[in-house]
Amino acid sequence: MPSTFHTCEREKLFLNPSSKRFGVPELQKLVKPFIDSFNSLLEPPTKGILHYAIDDIGVMEISDVPYTSPTKGNILKVWIEDVLIGKPLLPENVRAAKSFQIFPSECRERFKTYAGKMSIKFCWQVNNGRVNMEIRNVGMCPIMIKSNRCNLQSFYSKQLIEHHEESEEMGGYFIINGIEKIIRHLIVQRRNYVMALIRPSFANRGKSYTEYGVSIRCARLDQTTMTNTLHYLKDGSCMLRFLWRKQEYLVPVILFLKSLVETNDKGIFEMLMLGDFENTFFSDRVELMLQEFKSYNVQSRGQCLSILGEKFRIIFSLPSHYSNQRVGEYVLKKVLLVHLNNNQDKFNLLIFMIRKLYSLVAGDCCSDNPDSPQNQEILLSGNLYGMIAKEKLMDYLSSIRTLIVADVNSKKNVDFNNKKYLSTIFNKPSSDIGKKLSYFLATGNLVSNTGLDLMQTSGYTIVAEKINFFRYISHFRCVHRGSFFAELKTTTVRKLLPESWGFICPVHTPDGSPCGLLNHLSYSCRIITSKLNADRIPIFLSEFGMTIRPLISGHKTEKNQMCIQLDGKIVGWCSHKNAKSIADKLRFIKIEEKIPIDIEIGYVPPSNGGQYPGIYIFSTSARMMRPVKYLANGKTDMVGSFEQVYMNIACLPEDIVEGVTTHQEYSPTNILSIVANLTPFSDYNQSPRNMYQCQMAKQTMGTPSTALMYRTDNKLYHLQTGQTPIVRPELHNTLGLDGFPNGTNAIVAVISYTGYDMEDALIINKSSYERGFGYGTIYKSEIIDLGEFRAVGDPIHHQFGLEDDAPTSWREKLDNDGLPFIGAKLTTGDPLCAYIDRIKGVTKIKMYGGSEDAYIDQVRLLGDDLGKDEVQKVHIKLRIPRPPVIGDKFSSRHGQKGVLSRLWPQVDLPFTESGMQPDIIINPHAFPSRMTIGMFVESMAGKCGALFGVAQDCTPFKYNEESTAIDYFGEQLLRSGFNYHGNEPMYSGTTGEEFQADIYIGVVFYQRLRHMVSDKWQVRSTGPVHNLTMQPIGGRKRNGGIRFGEMERDSLLAHGMSFCLQDRLMNCSDFSQCHLCRECGSIFTSLSLKTHHKIDSNRTYKKHHIQCDICNTAKWITLIKIPSAFKYLATELASMGIKIILDTETK
Amino acid sequence: MNNQTSQGPPPPSGPLSSATPRASDNAPKMQYNCADCGTENEIKPKEPLRCKECGHRIMYKQRTKRMVQFEAR
Repeated sequence: MPSTFHTCEREKLFLNPSSKRFGVPELQKLVKPFIDSFNSLLEPPTKGILHYAIDDIGVMEISDVPYTSPTKGNILKVWIEDVLIGKPLLPENVRAAKSFQIFPSECRERFKTYAGKMSIKFCWQVNNGRVNMEIRNVGMCPIMIKSNRCNLQSFYSKQLIEHHEESEEMGGYFIINGIEKIIRHLIVQRRNYVMALIRPSFANRGKSYTEYGVSIRCARLDQTTMTNTLHYLKDGSCMLRFLWRKQEYLVPVILFLKSLVETNDKGIFEMLMLGDFENTFFSDRVELMLQEFKSYNVQSRGQCLSILGEKFRIIFSLPSHYSNQRVGEYVLKKVLLVHLNNNQDKFNLLIFMIRKLYSLVAGDCCSDNPDSPQNQEILLSGNLYGMIAKEKLMDYLSSIRTLIVADVNSKKNVDFNNKKYLSTIFNKPSSDIGKKLSYFLATGNLVSNTGLDLMQTSGYTIVAEKINFFRYISHFRCVHRGSFFAELKTTTVRKLLPESWGFICPVHTPDGSPCGLLNHLSYSCRIITSKLNADRIPIFLSEFGMTIRPLISGHKTEKNQMCIQLDGKIVGWCSHKNAKSIADKLRFIKIEEKIPIDIEIGYVPPSNGGQYPGIYIFSTSARMMRPVKYLANGKTDMVGSFEQVYMNIACLPEDIVEGVTTHQEYSPTNILSIVANLTPFSDYNQSPRNMYQCQMAKQTMGTPSTALMYRTDNKLYHLQTGQTPIVRPELHNTLGLDGFPNGTNAIVAVISYTGYDMEDALIINKSSYERGFGYGTIYKSEIIDLGEFRAVGDPIHHQFGLEDDAPTSWREKLDNDGLPFIGAKLTTGDPLCAYIDRIKGVTKIKMYGGSEDAYIDQVRLLGDDLGKDEVQKVHIKLRIPRPPVIGDKFSSRHGQKGVLSRLWPQVDLPFTESGMQPDIIINPHAFPSRMTIGMFVESMAGKCGALFGVAQDCTPFKYNEESTAIDYFGEQLLRSGFNYHGNEPMYSGTTGEEFQADIYIGVVFYQRLRHMVSDKWQVRSTGPVHNLTMQPIGGRKRNGGIRFGEMERDSLLAHGMSFCLQDRLMNCSDFSQCHLCRECGSIFTSLSLKTHHKIDSNRTYKKHHIQCDICNTAKWITLIKIPSAFKYLATELASMGIKIILDTETK
Repeated sequence: MNNQTSQGPPPPSGPLSSATPRASDNAPKMQYNCADCGTENEIKPKEPLRCKECGHRIMYKQRTKRMVQFEAR
C-alpha cells in the first residue's frame, strides 16, 4: 500500500524551496482579502482608493477676509493632486549600506515599524493664478507585508527563506515596533441596500418619532461610507437623518426631494404612489407630508437648495462667497445617498426608500435583520486603512484653513501672495500621517473627527500571535461583529442564523463573552476586494425585459412592479411575473462569464409580508461570496450571502429536488472554518466538543514558525517532538500543515487504572516521557535598551561591557562585552548583561528575574537606522525547557482535555498481547456524557493507519449509515489480526493478570496545551502584606496569596471549624492587638504614660502604664485582638467625625 | 521578581588575584556575525554597530568557545 504521508515530497520541498512558486499555494489565498484590499489603495490601472479619496476631498477654498465681510477678498485654493507611498527603504543619508531596501525580518529583529515614505503632491492657487505644486513628505506609513509596497512582494519560497521569512510567508499584517499587527475584519451593514428596521430606540428620538425606519449605508468610491436613515413620524411624514462630524441632523425628506430635481407635488405624489391609488394608507400619508411642507413656503428647486444651504453653511464651513444654493448642492453631494452621483438617481432611490418605509409601517413587508449575514459585509483592512489616511489628509487641509481663518479673525496680516506666509501656514499643522497610522495600528484606537461611520473607537487591530499555526491563520480568518455589540445585553446578535450557511463557520467561535461575536469565515468563503465591471448589466437586463421607467398601461402605472437596483441605483423596473426569469437569465449569462462571476443577483420574490421584493444586484467589494456548483451546466457559480437566502442549493446529491434545486455544494465541509475542518470525524461528536477543540487547537504548543531563529516574539511556545497526525483530513495536506506539526500520535488506552486518571486526569507512560513525548520549550525575549537611561538628544554615556570593578561571579556568566555567553544557564539573580556607566565609571548589571532556569539562546546586538551609533540595545532570547510535569494540560482533538496526574513507570503499565503499552491512559468516564464518538473512531483509524503505514482520511461527512466508519476501520483492524471493535485483551502491569474486560486501545493524536503549572502555580506561607490593611496581598507575580473568600468561609462555618476559621481569617491575616478603654469604648484614647517611681533616694525606675486619656484612668484598659483592617476602618471613620464605641460584655 | 539593577562592589584596593580575568588584560577580541550576510565582524566598544561588508545593523553574538557543561540529571 503506498504511503500517503508525502514524506519524500515534503522533504524535497524543504531542501530545495522553489524560487518560482510556493510549496503550498493554497495558503496564500487565505490572506488575499488583506493584501488585495491594501493593494487597492494605490493600485494601477484602475484608480486607487486614495486617489478617489483625494478627488472626494476636492479643492478647499479659503478667503482672506472675515466671514461677515461684504467683499469677496482673495481666494486661496488648496488641494492634493496625488498621493504616493514608497517601499520601505533606509534613510537617504545612510552611506555604508549595500542595499537600501528594508526587509520585514529586520523590522522584527530591531523592533522597528515596517514603513514606507508617504508623500503628497500638494497644490495651491491664488485667485485663478498660477498653480503651485510641491511634494510634501507626510511621514512613514506602515506597509502591509507582501502588498504591492512591500519588498517581499514578488518573492517565492526560496527568496523568502533567504530573507529570513517563512517559506510560505503569507503577509497580510503590519509590523509596528517589531510587533505583527492585523487590522481585524469587521462586520458592517451591507452597503447600498435599503434596509427596513424596527428599532424601539428610534422612538426615543423625539415625541413624534416611531420605531420604524429605513436605513442605507452608502459607500463612495473611496470606500468611505455615509449612512442615511429615514424615520417614520407618527403623523405619517418622514425625516431623513444623517451624521456629520459625529453630529446628528434631521431634515424633512420632502426638502431633499425637492432640492434634488425640479419637480412639483404632483410629480412626487405620482412617483410615490406608483399607480397604486387605491392604497389609502399610502396616499393619506403622502398627501399629508406634502401639505406639511407647505409651511416652508418654497416651490422651486432653487428655493429649496437655498434653505438647505442657509442652514448648513456654518456646519460645512464653506467660504462666504458661496451662494446658499451652491452650499445646498454641496450638502446634497456630501451627505445624501453618496454612492450615487446623479441627482435624478438620488431622487429615485429616495422615493424608493419612502415607499419601503411606508410598506414596513403598513405591514406589507417585514423588517430586515441587521444581524443576518444577508445584510452584512466585511470592513476590509485596506479599506479602513484608506479611510483613516483620507481623513488625516482632509484634516491637514482643514487645519490650514483653520489657521488662516484664525489669522484673519485676529486681524493679522494675511497675504496669499507672500510665499513666506504661505509656507509657514502649510508647515504649521502636523502633516505626519504615517505617525497617525502607526498609532492606529499599534493601539487599535481610532482617533477621528467624523467617526468614519463606524460604531466603535477602539479594538480595530490585534496582535497576530504565533502560538501555533492554527492560532496564526485563524487571526486572518476571523470576523468580528464589533465591540459595540459585546456590551449589548441582548443576545440576538450572537445567534447562529441559517443565513450564515457557508459563509461563517457555525462551530468555530469561542465560548464565553465573545461567543457569536467573534466568528470565523468558512473555508470556501471569499471576500470580494474590488469593484467589478457591471457596465453591461443594464443592457443585458433590458434585453431580458426590464423597462427603464415603471410600466404604464393606459394612464395608470401598472401595479405589481418591482424595481431592479444595481449597487443601490435604480436601473429599471419589471413586473412581478417577469422578475424571476430576468434574474435567472442574468445568472445564466453570469455563469457563462459574460459578466463577472462575483456579481451577486439577489432576487427577492414578492411575498405576503416578507422581505420587500425587488432584484438587487451587487458588484461592489467587501462582500462575502462562495463557490457552488451550478447544476444546469456543472460550472462553478459564486453565491453571495444576500442572494443565497432565496436560492435552492442542495447540500448532498440526495437533497436535489427536480425543477427546484439549481445549485449544489461542492462539499458539505465547506461550511466549516479551517480549524473546524481539521477536527477528525467531527460529524461524530457532540457539537460543543467541536467548539472546544477549535479553542484548544489554537492554544496548542506546536510549531509557531519555521524561521524560529529570526523571531523575536515576546514569548514563543515550541513543541520539540511534533509529528504529523496519522489521522487527518484532506485539508491538512492542502494547507501544508505538516510544515507546522502540532502534536504527537500517542497510544491511548481507555481504562480506569491506578486511580490517577479520575476527573479528566491522564497518566503518561514515564518511558514515553523520557523519550521526549510532549517535550516543549518556551522562548522568551529580554530587551535591554541603554537609550532609556538618557533623554533624547543627550550624548551616549552607557555602554555594554565589564569594567575592572566587576566581581568574578559576573564574569562566570558574562563575556567581556558585558553580554552573556550563549548557552549559559541562568537562575534567578544571575546577571543577564552588564553595562558601564561612563560618567561614574562603574559597572551595573541587569539581573535575570525569572523563577525558572533559562538558557541563553541568542544574543542580538541591535544598531540604529543610520548605522552610526555604538550598540545601545540588545535582544537576548532565553530558552526555558518545559518537559511535561504533573499538572500540565493535554488534549485530544475532540475537546477532551485533561491534566497530567502521574508519570507512571512503564513496567507497571498494562500491556496487550502483542506487548504494546500505552503512552497515555485516560478514564472511560470521559466519554458517556461528552459523547465524543469521533475520538473512538480516530483511535481505530489511527491504529490501523499505523499498522498499514498510511495516513487516514478523517474528513467529516464521508461516512453514512450504510457504510459506517466503524465498519471501514473495523475491517482494516480485522485484516491485520486485531479485534474488529478496537478492543484488546490487556494484562495488568502490576500483577500480570488479564483484565476481565477488553480494553479500548488505539492511536490518538494528542496536543499539548500551553497552559502549564509552571506558569500558574501559586503558593505562599508568609509574605508581603498590604500596607494599609496589613492583609496579605493578592497576585501570583507579587508572591501573594489566594483569597479565602466568603464561600470558603461559609463552608468552614458549616463544618463548625471555628478555630480553623479564626486561624485563616484572623491569625494568618491581619491580626493585631490594641488597647481598649472599656469605659468609653474607644480604641484611640489609650495613652502610654511613664511614671517615675522612687525606689530609694538615689534610684527611680520608670513604669509604663497605659491609661485612657479621656477617662483619665488605667482601670478600664484591656488589650484586645482585632483585625488591622478594623483599626483602619475606625481611623477612617474618626477622620470624618464618626466615633466608634466598642461595647464590652464585662466592664 | 522584576529585573533589578544592582551595582557591583567597589573595586578592591589591593592587587587582584591572578585568577580573576580582567577586561583590560588583553581581552580576546569580540567577534560578531552579521545577521544579513553572516560575515564575521570585530566590533570594539564605542565602535558603530554596522557590518563592514553589507552595512547591516544587526549582529549576532557568537557561541562561546568556552566549555559549557551542565549536570545532566
